[in-house]
Amino acid sequence: MTNRHILTAILIAALIFLLAPIVVVMVASFNGGAVMSFPPAFLTTRWYHEIKPIFYQAIWVSLLVATGSATFSVLIGVPAALALCRGRFPGRDLLSSLCLSPLMVPTLVTGVALYQCSLVFWDFTGITIGGTLFGIILGHLTFGLPFVIRAVIAGHARFDRALEEAAQNLGASPLKTFRLITIPILRPSIASGAAFAFTMSFDDVPIALFMGGGDGATTLPVQIYTNVQYDLSGDVMAVASLVVVVSLVVITLLNRLAGSDLFFGAKQ
Amino acid sequence: MAAGKVGRGDMWFWALLPSLATLFIVFGLPIVDLIYTSLHGMAGPAQITDRFTLENYSDFFNDTFMLNILGRTVWLGFVVVCCCLLVAYPVAYLLARTSAKWRDLALFLITASLLVSSVVRNLGWFPILGESGLVNWLLTSIGIIHTPIRMVGNFTGVVIGLVHAQLPIMILTLTTVIQRIEPELEEAARNLGAAPLEAFWRVMLPLSLPGIVSGSLLVFTLSISAFTTPAILGGNSVLIMAIYVAQQFRTVLDYPAGASAAILLLVTAAILTLTAMRIRARGSEHQ
Repeated sequence: MTNRHILTAILIAALIFLLAPIVVVMVASFNGGAVMSFPPAFLTTRWYHEIKPIFYQAIWVSLLVATGSATFSVLIGVPAALALCRGRFPGRDLLSSLCLSPLMVPTLVTGVALYQCSLVFWDFTGITIGGTLFGIILGHLTFGLPFVIRAVIAGHARFDRALEEAAQNLGASPLKTFRLITIPILRPSIASGAAFAFTMSFDDVPIALFMGGGDGATTLPVQIYTNVQYDLSGDVMAVASLVVVVSLVVITLLNRLAGSDLFFGAKQ
Repeated sequence: MAAGKVGRGDMWFWALLPSLATLFIVFGLPIVDLIYTSLHGMAGPAQITDRFTLENYSDFFNDTFMLNILGRTVWLGFVVVCCCLLVAYPVAYLLARTSAKWRDLALFLITASLLVSSVVRNLGWFPILGESGLVNWLLTSIGIIHTPIRMVGNFTGVVIGLVHAQLPIMILTLTTVIQRIEPELEEAARNLGAAPLEAFWRVMLPLSLPGIVSGSLLVFTLSISAFTTPAILGGNSVLIMAIYVAQQFRTVLDYPAGASAAILLLVTAAILTLTAMRIRARGSEHQ
């Protein structure tokens, strides 16, 4: 069984490699010496007290953007996915591919395209969209909406339509059937799509970098990205550690609630 | 019933309309605008001319500076794919073939690392790879090296960061594929006298090839389109397509040059993704 030992060793090495930067961020946030040196010279909690207000503001902006884009994606994405599964109109397959096509485009390309387009829009109307919170939310719809549509289409493939017929035979109105049967059955897929849209929004740099940047429109990843380039101090590590803790709590909760294929459902 | 279905079907189109309209505004129009810009000349910083031209594209392919950027980008994707495959295949094989209790934990940790913010993960490489970081400290303590090795702010740093970002995707893709291959096939090969390596080479590898190809295409596409990791760990010194595009729009303000490079990146990524999807679809038909 030496083969198996070699494989196990590779697995452990891969896990250490995958978890190393995440663990190191947390250890480094307590480093009293130079931030970039490791192992830490001595330990301190001072960085947590010295987190700059711009970071708290950036966390708030990120939460607003992620909630806003995920909510809007669910509100218009779920009806669209149902339409793509149940509608009988011409060109349905083509429309389906069109709805998912933004996922094939690198987000940097989408980001610069949106940025340029917002300048043209400003030229014509004088309305500023680039550099605003609203602009970032619009930008994040380019992946949030396709994620939700894809997740619901995948969930719908396992949907047993007989349940709806049964409800209608028992006298439920179409609206009541929709509310009491359709939506509850599709809820895990909707949750999975929304969770994925939220996570990706909270992760994105390119779109938020090009569409944001104005007053009160800098997301947390963009703020950290800017600080890494110009002023990397201990408080950045402290903020990053807070993000890790929150992500781990969220991931564990989602894993408990929906099992590990929550995100697979959205990714396939 | 049939007539009712058609009527309902028409109704469904209205449910699709808000999404279609939104995607047209936030995605369709901007991409069309980007294509438009890529087909016009530069009239000054952040300005384009009215004259239609293909020069941006022909300039791109006639300029060694640009071809170097393209070559560096492809090379980066290739190196990342190779590193990912070498590590991910054995890991995926073990995960697919074991029913041990720790399997779920391992899968959870792999997925979890994928979901922690990429900026944060990139940040974590600095204390590990920096000149006074963990790896250099270990190597100098043991006495293997005397002067620190540079591993961030260059090509090595970008490769490490991208392998870290893509490895979970490769592992999960390959695990799904290998799980579908029946273990009996491998056992049969062994019983017929094949050495373990031969059984792998002649049975496992051909059967998992569609998964390897589609996983590699996916990782390659994600690597050449990535911006965040190359920007942070490359420290703007690793000039690849995505960094070049961002520079044209943020600092150089040559929009047509940036737009044409962005469109080339878009077309490449779209073709590779479609190919990967086709290979995966054909693979699951056979199963």
